[in-house]
Amino acid sequence: MRWRTVALRALAPITAVVFALLVASVALVLVDRNPLTAFVEMAKFAATLKSFISIMNRAYPLYISAIAVAIGFKMGLFNIGVEGQYLFASLLAAWVAASIALPGPLHVLVVLLVAIVVGSAWSGIAGVLKVTRGVHEVISTIMLNFIAFGLVSWLLANFLRQENQPGDLIIKTAEIPASGRFPSLNPLLAAIGLEPPRGSTWQGFLVVAVLLGIGYYLLVWRTRFGYELRASGINPGAARAAGVDPNAMVVKTMLLSGAFAGLVAIGPLLGFFNRYTLDFPRQLGFIGIGIALLGRNHPVGMFLGAVLWGFMDRSAQILDLNDIPREIVQIMQGVIVLAVVIAYEVVTRFVEREQVRAAAAATAIEAEQQEAEEARTS
Amino acid sequence: MEAMTGTGAAVTPAVELVAITKRFPGVIANRDVHLRVMPGEVHAVVGENGAGKSTLMKILYGMQQPDEGAILVDGTEQRFRSPKDAIDVGIGMVHQHFMLADNLTVLENVVLGSEPAKGFALDFQSARSDIVSLGERYGLVVDPDVLVEELAVGERQRVEILKVLYRGARILILDEPTAVLVPQEVDELFENLRGLKSEGVTIIFISHKLDEVLTIADQITVMRGGRTVATVAPEEVDAHRLAELMVGSELPTPEIRESTVTDVVELDVDGLTVVNDEGRRVLDDVSFSIRRGEVLGIAGVEGNGQRELVDALVGILRVSEGRVRLGDEDVTNRPTAQIRQLGVGLIPEDRHRQGLLLPSPLWENAMLGHQFGSPFMNGVWVDRAGARRRTREIIERFGVKAPGPDIPAVALSGGNQQKLVVGREMIAQPQVLIAAQPTRGIDVGAQAAVWEQIRVARAAGMAILLISADLEELIGLSDSLKVILRGRLVATLDPRSVTPEELGGYMTGVRSQEADA
Amino acid sequence: MRRYTKLFALVSVLALVAAACGGGGGETTTTAGEAPTTETTAAAPEETTTTAPPETTPPEEAVKVGMVFDIGGRGDQSFNDAAAAGLDRAVADFGIEPLELEPSAGGENREELLRLLSEQGVPLIFAIGFLFTDSVAAAAADFPDTKYGLIDSVVDAPNVASLVFAEEQGSFLVGAAAALKSQTGKIGFIGGVEIDLIKKFQAGFEAGVKAVNPDAEIIVQYVSQPPDFSGFNDPARGREIGTAMYEQGADVVYHAAGGTGGGLFEAAKEYSEANNTQVWAIGVDSDQYNQVDDALKPYILTSMLKRVDVAVYNTIEAFVNGEFQGGIVVFDLSVDGVGYSTSGGFVDDIVDQLEDFKAKIISGEIEVPTAPAA
Repeated sequence: MRWRTVALRALAPITAVVFALLVASVALVLVDRNPLTAFVEMAKFAATLKSFISIMNRAYPLYISAIAVAIGFKMGLFNIGVEGQYLFASLLAAWVAASIALPGPLHVLVVLLVAIVVGSAWSGIAGVLKVTRGVHEVISTIMLNFIAFGLVSWLLANFLRQENQPGDLIIKTAEIPASGRFPSLNPLLAAIGLEPPRGSTWQGFLVVAVLLGIGYYLLVWRTRFGYELRASGINPGAARAAGVDPNAMVVKTMLLSGAFAGLVAIGPLLGFFNRYTLDFPRQLGFIGIGIALLGRNHPVGMFLGAVLWGFMDRSAQILDLNDIPREIVQIMQGVIVLAVVIAYEVVTRFVEREQVRAAAAATAIEAEQQEAEEARTS
Repeated sequence: MEAMTGTGAAVTPAVELVAITKRFPGVIANRDVHLRVMPGEVHAVVGENGAGKSTLMKILYGMQQPDEGAILVDGTEQRFRSPKDAIDVGIGMVHQHFMLADNLTVLENVVLGSEPAKGFALDFQSARSDIVSLGERYGLVVDPDVLVEELAVGERQRVEILKVLYRGARILILDEPTAVLVPQEVDELFENLRGLKSEGVTIIFISHKLDEVLTIADQITVMRGGRTVATVAPEEVDAHRLAELMVGSELPTPEIRESTVTDVVELDVDGLTVVNDEGRRVLDDVSFSIRRGEVLGIAGVEGNGQRELVDALVGILRVSEGRVRLGDEDVTNRPTAQIRQLGVGLIPEDRHRQGLLLPSPLWENAMLGHQFGSPFMNGVWVDRAGARRRTREIIERFGVKAPGPDIPAVALSGGNQQKLVVGREMIAQPQVLIAAQPTRGIDVGAQAAVWEQIRVARAAGMAILLISADLEELIGLSDSLKVILRGRLVATLDPRSVTPEELGGYMTGVRSQEADA
Repeated sequence: MRRYTKLFALVSVLALVAAACGGGGGETTTTAGEAPTTETTAAAPEETTTTAPPETTPPEEAVKVGMVFDIGGRGDQSFNDAAAAGLDRAVADFGIEPLELEPSAGGENREELLRLLSEQGVPLIFAIGFLFTDSVAAAAADFPDTKYGLIDSVVDAPNVASLVFAEEQGSFLVGAAAALKSQTGKIGFIGGVEIDLIKKFQAGFEAGVKAVNPDAEIIVQYVSQPPDFSGFNDPARGREIGTAMYEQGADVVYHAAGGTGGGLFEAAKEYSEANNTQVWAIGVDSDQYNQVDDALKPYILTSMLKRVDVAVYNTIEAFVNGEFQGGIVVFDLSVDGVGYSTSGGFVDDIVDQLEDFKAKIISGEIEVPTAPAA
């Protein structure tokens, strides 16, 4: 029964992906392109080492973002503010990273700490607002996003930017010194005899992301705190009667979610951009919501979802070169998230109905016996 | 058990239920139920909570389908697949909880769902005149253009009744209509019911308040344990007799049992007062103490402060005045987690709202409220093996019918869910156990098992606060008995000598100890 | 002007779907922004835009030319479309095979896209916009045999042609035109995003105004602050700011704000009609008189022309002729890389004065500042 359930639950995302492929195929046929060619090109393109690195580099920040969202989901909170949290955290982390001089690992550690604290604090505001003033976290995190965007612009343009060389039009923080950078995984490729492709950096922060995933699992599923967090999400009344302070839990959850959010783009920051620039990756927080839904807040599910996203983003690039509109990939991404939500709902209802029926069947016999007994006695 | 109806057989009953049986997983809610309601009479259906009244009415209203038996309306057999079918033959239901949209007017609420159409436009004009004439005819006067949110509870109920009549109902089912009303409103309601009756409307009136039933009903059918045990006329009985019929012919004989009460006070409550957000004293100067091995029963009509009492004791509600001592420890306004760790077990009155994580596996439910240490915790980590072991133990010792600790709680029947909740609190052997409605909505077998567990725990020295609406349960289990009314403890009674009638008197405020004295 | 804006979608899912749905279009010919391909072509003075067959019919293997747009891509009615127009003309004239890419919404994969094209063996790749500066520098170092054309910014590498414009010179001329036409002596400037590039426009414009009327008052406002680039595509804000400027007494307003300018034109029309007067707007990048609805035409005094299409076209031409050269190529007044438009005939009476300024700038007699006076 357990395996059956697992298989059923895996069926939902698979159905969603297949459905998305179908929708994309229809769209392609409508614009007079061969869907098969498109998908084959995408797959072929993705099956290179360079693409693998690109997919991984794209996937792990999304994964961290999805975890940040999932922590909120697990306790019934909808943290839409990951976007603002990570951008704000990244900017301040970039500035601190470029401003201090410390030996290698310590330098990185301080930067991580800054990102965690900033992300946490920013998200914590929403938690405190909810607890003290009853502001719904969806509203407050949306508003905090806008404030963060404005604050990032203002701070970057006025205080945290470096003085540019004449002719350099890009506003950016100063470059992070070598001691503050995160090592790449390219040596690993070399060690197993693969030549790292020119200009490709397999960002080492992937390792941290995986550790964060494991940490998320252990924290939420294996500790008392995680148990209380989940209990609050499932049944706040029961959690409260069991000794979980709902207000404290809201604040703790938002702080924790924000802590993860703060780390979302630290990998690209320390492993690729080496500064906060105008091009710093955006939308990671919003996409993370979709991936949390797709992966059902599960540490492995979300990882697969993030990799799927990375794959689609990477393989979209080849489509333009083959005269296939790359928007097709965006359609697929949208359809997958919508479809998976529906598919999960259907599967959940199905599983629940089945479980209840099974239990009812088991206890029906008991009821019959009891009835017979009472008939005898009366 | 045969009906004592005096009416001639010549008249066809407006409603007749014949040998209705309805089973749910683990419970038989109705068995072999018979009910004859004559046209134009007010027919009361009485019984304790869980006696099967609600299920019976849901069957009559088409919300549930009987497993066996027949429903006859005006002598014709009917099969209701949904309330719509019931409405079509003229049956209407007024629910205990109103189903009105606050931000719409009376008129809009009444027509909602059966809007009078004139082409594509709503014909409010004709609807308004319909409602006004309906109201005049039955004496249900409500301004059709006022917003429902501005109405008092009694007026809202009138709107509900109007709504049902507007749909052409001739047979009205009223589910505990007085539960939400203040006494004057009850009088007005009864006045309305008499008006309806004089216009030929048949009324089925569900209640467990005996005095009301005796006032308004022409016939009374008593349900107990899912069966109809008698149909009587109010002239033939008094409240005491009705109560006996409700709880069983012989009122529970308190078992000859040795008192296990010691003189060690485990829970001491002194002057406990809780003021709610609106400034009302929902608990007012409540004082009592429970000793080792003692069961203190709290009787009361629901909504008189029982829930607040429990919440205040476990630290969910803030105490405004007074104090709560656990043994030697003052725990007033301490966090719930601390109070529970100090040895307070809680069987909440509503297991779905406060007691269970329905989608989670049983072992996670078994640790709810006990997630502070062994056997569920190993340092900071959840001890899954320990939790499963403990869950299996609960399953075995407390007779939970479940295949194992990994199935979700939602898959269990209500009785087994409750046994799990009781089991997890008992097995932890708390100093003090707060048991609120511990046998609500579960079958007889499970009920007996829970009672036995409470007796065993008492014998082992647990101090137990038993809050219940089940008088048999209270009288049978308690060492001493207090009555709560509007947030105050108004009477202290000896369970060995008290009768349900007396108890009912105190619960409803008809009697008071000051007056007795 | 630059790019599209970032949509701060509240929910990513919807954003994705919306983007997918909205991205395909691009045939709209409304007011916003830059030169759609046809107009730009028509307006190109030195180009003979004949429909004659290509002079060089494609040989067996057509020369590939890559172009990585900025966010928004082809069809943005703005900066990207101007570059695309140059590419399209080159396709028609030289039979090259174009390969077009566009970065993701966040823009973080610019370098990846440049590398992708480089690896495919594309010999000439354009990067549209100064945000590509670092990416081009990185890719150019790794692919020394590939040629890159970078718009609006400078990378010092032998295989990179840095195609920059003297926006301040063109802006000077429209500034002079504004001052010559102004009755009130108050003149407005709307910048899209407050970055150094746009400040060049501001600096030149102010200098032009002051050259004519040293007492003129110039009202300056930027729509957004970096890294928020929404100021380049926010017509509603353009309308608001424009109206406010006219109400403050400005009777000529110049915008360097891409799609935002559409709102300014509306504001000029509304203000003029409501107050029975004539206020002017000045367009940017391409001849916006030719882009807008007829109803708005009477309010567009002139436009500052920035010939991105020419830069692209000329670079491709040089490449196919084997004359590609790295280094900085400045498109200024002397090569008609910037200029002003005369469509509508509203500046006909002052053309002589403007041409005089132009000659003085080319000769160096007037030196136009590239940063606004503090």
